[in-house]
Amino acid sequence: MNTAPATIRLLRPSTMLTRNHVAAIVSYRRPYASSAAAVHNSQQKPDWNRAVSEAEKIVGYPTSFLSLRWLLSDEIANVALHLRKLVGSNHPLLKTAKGLLYNGRNNMQAWGLIVLLISKAAGHLNVDEMEEDKAAGVLHSQRALAEVTEMIRTSHLVHNGLVNIYPGLYPEPVILNDMAFGNKIALLSGDYLLSNSCAELASLRNQDLVHLISSALRDLSEAEFVGRRDSQNNPLPSPFEPLNRHFNSKLPLDPLESLDSLGSMPLTPALQDWTRRNVLSAGSLLGKSCQGTLALAGHGVELQKQGFLFGKHLSLAWQAYLDLEPFMSGSPYSLGISFNLTSAPVMFHLEHDPSLFEEIDKGVNSVKDVDYAKIHGIVMKGPGITYTKQLQKEHSQKAMEVLEVFEESDARTALSNIIVAMGGE
Amino acid sequence: MASRITSGARLCVRASIDKLVCNLSRSRHHSTVAANDMAVGPRSDRLQCYQKQLNRIRSDHQRNHCRRFTTLQDTDTDSLSSIDPYRLLDDDLRDVYTDIRQELELNTNQDELRTIATYYFDGQGKALRPMVAILMAHAINYHMNNNGLDKKQREVAMIAEMIHSASLIHDDVIDQSDFRRGKPSVNALWSHKKVAMAGDYILAVTSMMIARLNHNDVTITLSQIITDLVQGEFMQLGSKETENERFAHYLTKTYRKTASLIANSVKAEAMLAGADDKLVDVTFEYGRNIGLAFQLVDDLLDFVSSKDAMGKPTAADLKLGLATAPVLFACEKYPELNAMIMRRFQEPGDAERAFELVHKSQGLEQTRFLAKKHCLEATRLAGKIAESPYQKSLLVVPDLIVNRMK
Repeated sequence: MNTAPATIRLLRPSTMLTRNHVAAIVSYRRPYASSAAAVHNSQQKPDWNRAVSEAEKIVGYPTSFLSLRWLLSDEIANVALHLRKLVGSNHPLLKTAKGLLYNGRNNMQAWGLIVLLISKAAGHLNVDEMEEDKAAGVLHSQRALAEVTEMIRTSHLVHNGLVNIYPGLYPEPVILNDMAFGNKIALLSGDYLLSNSCAELASLRNQDLVHLISSALRDLSEAEFVGRRDSQNNPLPSPFEPLNRHFNSKLPLDPLESLDSLGSMPLTPALQDWTRRNVLSAGSLLGKSCQGTLALAGHGVELQKQGFLFGKHLSLAWQAYLDLEPFMSGSPYSLGISFNLTSAPVMFHLEHDPSLFEEIDKGVNSVKDVDYAKIHGIVMKGPGITYTKQLQKEHSQKAMEVLEVFEESDARTALSNIIVAMGGE
Repeated sequence: MASRITSGARLCVRASIDKLVCNLSRSRHHSTVAANDMAVGPRSDRLQCYQKQLNRIRSDHQRNHCRRFTTLQDTDTDSLSSIDPYRLLDDDLRDVYTDIRQELELNTNQDELRTIATYYFDGQGKALRPMVAILMAHAINYHMNNNGLDKKQREVAMIAEMIHSASLIHDDVIDQSDFRRGKPSVNALWSHKKVAMAGDYILAVTSMMIARLNHNDVTITLSQIITDLVQGEFMQLGSKETENERFAHYLTKTYRKTASLIANSVKAEAMLAGADDKLVDVTFEYGRNIGLAFQLVDDLLDFVSSKDAMGKPTAADLKLGLATAPVLFACEKYPELNAMIMRRFQEPGDAERAFELVHKSQGLEQTRFLAKKHCLEATRLAGKIAESPYQKSLLVVPDLIVNRMK
């Protein structure tokens, strides 16, 4: 689940949006250079916004511009109009939309930015001058790929925001109607982004890239089928599968390469489980996008592989950071706010003490039936948090190691700043 | 491969191509048998090929009905109508669903995803899209003096069916329908979120197959289908104020939701065959016209067919708030329909009243007339392709579409 850290919401009515109905829903977050936003921002992560806004300057312009084009299309304007009808209902699509627009930097836009930064850090070989965006030091095709990455990720979040409607869930016809309508809009909006990504990818005229990025989309959709699910498809930890070092995958191209250990962390069933889930739901897309952008720049297979590893480790470090958040000191989660039951601290704790499954299993129908305050308390006292911190550190380090293959540059520095700001070492 | 031969080199290899022509209607599975036929001269080979076709037509006469289409008319009087494209393409089409299922099963380790993603590939569908695509591929190959069906061309047929199914799966969630093709629809059996993801999964696997065709322009052409489908779905959300606008809106929507898939997949087949732009345009226009005709007939059948024949409830469009051609035509005679269209038939009794008015008006006849017009145009376009059993089948497809009962 996407529990992005709370940033201050800048409800600045945008001057750039000409369509009133879009503006009505979408108070666009950052009109121009984003340094102003960095200064005010959140107490708990002082460096994150600065790291991101510095990085944005390096690759030309705020990456939020990437999404501006599709935000202003007829179809999305249409969606905005329909979203209005849903205001007042509690369809999760509204929450998804809000999250995307207000916290964009933390989930969606940061991904495109990272793709652009690694593009610039790696430079490009023998590429047509017409193709280059000289000021930014990246190719137009790389910028397009960054946009595709963001669109695919967004579409996945939006599709994930559907409600499972089943007989008896909404006895009130008015509410049932609202929910069905919300699902329709969510499905169509996600499809719109997907179809746009297909067209954009096709226009790059590089079939290896189309194949690579499509396989990342495949992995994202597969992720939603892993393990036990409640009636709203929220994940619950399943009993851990035994270690399988030679993972017998039937997939022709599997991002789930077997791992022996992670730095000083031994491979355990819980780590294996967590890694599989998160490689499918995040690591694959960011890894393959980083790999793809290096391919576009004409780099060889070896460097492309490094790109994949960078994206994969960075997204896993980021996920570990998000998983930790509910367990940071002073977090309101101790009061019983729900959090992801398959997050690393919970998974590690379950491995340490499977008796926690007893509480978790109360959520088989709905994760809401679980006593979160209780689980929070138990996990806080166990070893899960320490393991998760180590997990984040190891993945951050792995990502840092990959950066060393690139020459010193402002883009490389920006990437390492982002890793540091994320809380890594 | 023969499909790669350029026009300059064509004369030199003409003879050897002719030797291979007898394989035209055979699939790769049977290609080993062809060794004997190689010894015979080119001319007699071509004759043999037609002879084979004739035998097929004769055996058709002995059968009571076509396998998948039931036609309204007695077809024995017209020699063309007795051609059954499905029979002609039996070898090429037989394993299409099996191969699609295999592709979808190989790409995931999750059993439930496999089950949902392959649910509609049970071989019970009409397979209209793969049939038309392969038919066009053969016809253009013949026109270009190429032989047989390229493996990639067969994949385009699979891709067309897969894109279609991915969109059906998402439509099921959007329309909340309980039945499709005579069985429970996916959204009735699995959770909506998983169904949505399964649709995305099919799209992803399809895109990977498209990439493996390794042809930049074909990828762009096939991606256009996906863009059109989604834009068509968006158009369905809104309705237009004036009658004129409304019909244009309906036709554009119909092109995007149905015809684009057929038009662009046959276009991709022609591109893979190495056809020139002019010929590629002919194939595209052919596909566009039969696609429009197909949907017009579909919209018509929604008013006349029984539930049993369609495998889904009738007048479903009205219940979804959609005004299709029969209603739009009926508006001319019964202007009271305009208000109902604008409120998407949502007031009690609207759907029933509209249904009745459509039947009282000329709406159904006019819809059929328009469908026939598109079919005539398709037939005219198919006439530009060199004569072959496949091209003849292309002439038959429009009749199958207009005369179908389900």
